[in-house]
Amino acid sequence: MRADPKIEERLGVACMVVLAIITLGNVLTRYFTDMSFAWTEEISVFLIVVMTLAGAASVAGRDVHIRIEYFYDGGSLARRRTLRALSGAVTTLVFLALAVLFSIDVADEIRWSETSMGLGVPRWWFTAAIPPLCLAIAVRAGIAGWRGWRLRDEPESSPVDA
Amino acid sequence: MTTFVLVALFIALLLAGVPIAMALGLGGMFAIAWMNPGSPFWGLLAAPQNAHAAIAKYPLLALPMFVLVGAIFDRSGVAGRLVTFAQACVGSGPGRLPVIAILVAMMLGGISGSGPATAAAVGAVMLGAMGRAGYPRAFSASIVAAAAATDNLIPPSIALIVYSVNMPGASVPALFAAGIIPGTLAGLALIVPAVLTSKRHGFNEANVARARPPFWASLREASWGLAAKVLILGGLRLGWFTPTEAAVVAVAYGLFIGMVIHRTIGWRDLYPVFRSATELSAVIMLVLALAGIFAYAVSTLGIADPLVAWVQGLGLGSNGTLILLFVVMTMLGMVLDGVSIFLVFLPLLYPLMQAFHWDPVWFGVLLTMKIAIGQFTPPLAVNLMVACRIAKVRIDETIQWVGPFIFWFVLAAFVVLFFPEVALWLPRRLGY
Repeated sequence: MRADPKIEERLGVACMVVLAIITLGNVLTRYFTDMSFAWTEEISVFLIVVMTLAGAASVAGRDVHIRIEYFYDGGSLARRRTLRALSGAVTTLVFLALAVLFSIDVADEIRWSETSMGLGVPRWWFTAAIPPLCLAIAVRAGIAGWRGWRLRDEPESSPVDA
Repeated sequence: MTTFVLVALFIALLLAGVPIAMALGLGGMFAIAWMNPGSPFWGLLAAPQNAHAAIAKYPLLALPMFVLVGAIFDRSGVAGRLVTFAQACVGSGPGRLPVIAILVAMMLGGISGSGPATAAAVGAVMLGAMGRAGYPRAFSASIVAAAAATDNLIPPSIALIVYSVNMPGASVPALFAAGIIPGTLAGLALIVPAVLTSKRHGFNEANVARARPPFWASLREASWGLAAKVLILGGLRLGWFTPTEAAVVAVAYGLFIGMVIHRTIGWRDLYPVFRSATELSAVIMLVLALAGIFAYAVSTLGIADPLVAWVQGLGLGSNGTLILLFVVMTMLGMVLDGVSIFLVFLPLLYPLMQAFHWDPVWFGVLLTMKIAIGQFTPPLAVNLMVACRIAKVRIDETIQWVGPFIFWFVLAAFVVLFFPEVALWLPRRLGY
């Protein structure tokens, strides 16, 4: 799995840009014309979900999700290695499970031909994007955990930003 | 038993440094599977549905948009101009630079929405100047961290948006309006210990001669930044925009200031700005999504009712219970960021709020003040970590300085606790 390491990052940023443009477009059209773009709501909601998962995958790769850092960043090398491996393993486990569960959801939506509330298109057009993104988070976190397990030197300070 | 397993697993994972989102997700899924041994997939299909439902909400769009506003204004050159303007207002003398740091953090807080982001922006422009004027670095870092905590209250506030999304009966405009007076009160309260400590220790700025900047010229320079606040709050008040729309208008306006007026953002800077906003939003919303699973597990387990009954049984009364919550929330705020605390504890706090008939808007402001105090209470304080990293001091060096700031912030919170009108008067006056 050595695709462009920044592919999720780019996808997330693209979603953010499109979200801003759609929302701004909605404000402008509402003020200058009588048209309503309410149907874009469904697309915006979909983009929020994709942005969250894609951004989360990119963040998982650098191992900087919000956590309690008190024990994580201190102590012996053995402890830091163990905690990093544990963190990676738990993240991988959670998102592998979610990838499977979301896939079952998507399969059901295809089987029952569910359509979306706003646009009336098949729901799976939107939800099919979710399982692969969950897998991406699992893989990125797994790689980060593996790197943590093989940690040798002084740890780099982990940036806080939330 | 299941409850015990859920709570114990969750706390153990948190302490081990597992990301909060994963601890919520694993704890929640574990509890669901434990309760439904006979169901297909152990009832776990509820997990993706609840996770998806927690973030697939249109009103939530306000969150990434306000995060983006903060990321843009961080680099728009507004902070430096606000400092010049504050200097023109306050002048120089003992304790003046700390006052300037507090005022700038409050003004910037009206644009960006999160404590640590403001601590970084204000720290970058103020810590150097305060060091040259002879203030100890640990003292300066304490001030910046405490002042940045007021941003959780001064709108737009990310914490209040998250609270609103999860709390029926508390709209974003009402919460924003309710935060203004308590946030300003807390900021003004911080000025007291800033000046007193400076006087007592004889910190003297006289050795650095600074000409007082001309008032009108610096106001003109700062007006572009200050207008953003007027645009956001005025637009909301006049019903021009929904919160999400106000945010996206502020995004466009911030890009205009940064790229055209102050020229601090070039085309090449755009990608990093959007990237940091995307990743910060993703980090918050991932916690939001997996907290959806946790909240589902908590509600099916029925943890909340016995807990509420137990707290009521303590016989502390409404204010006594609030003070108990105060202690607990401040301690949690030392370890966890405000948004995570809301997501983990709102399913438990909501029934408590109903049992005591607390106003949801007032309760939100009060909870946010508690969390804000935790953000600069050492040793585990997010704002203080950011400020200390910029000031290059260790967090434990701030312990001797930060006490008075905590005391005065708590005092401001108690005013809101005992006089709910401080928070509720403005939203009612504005008709929310």
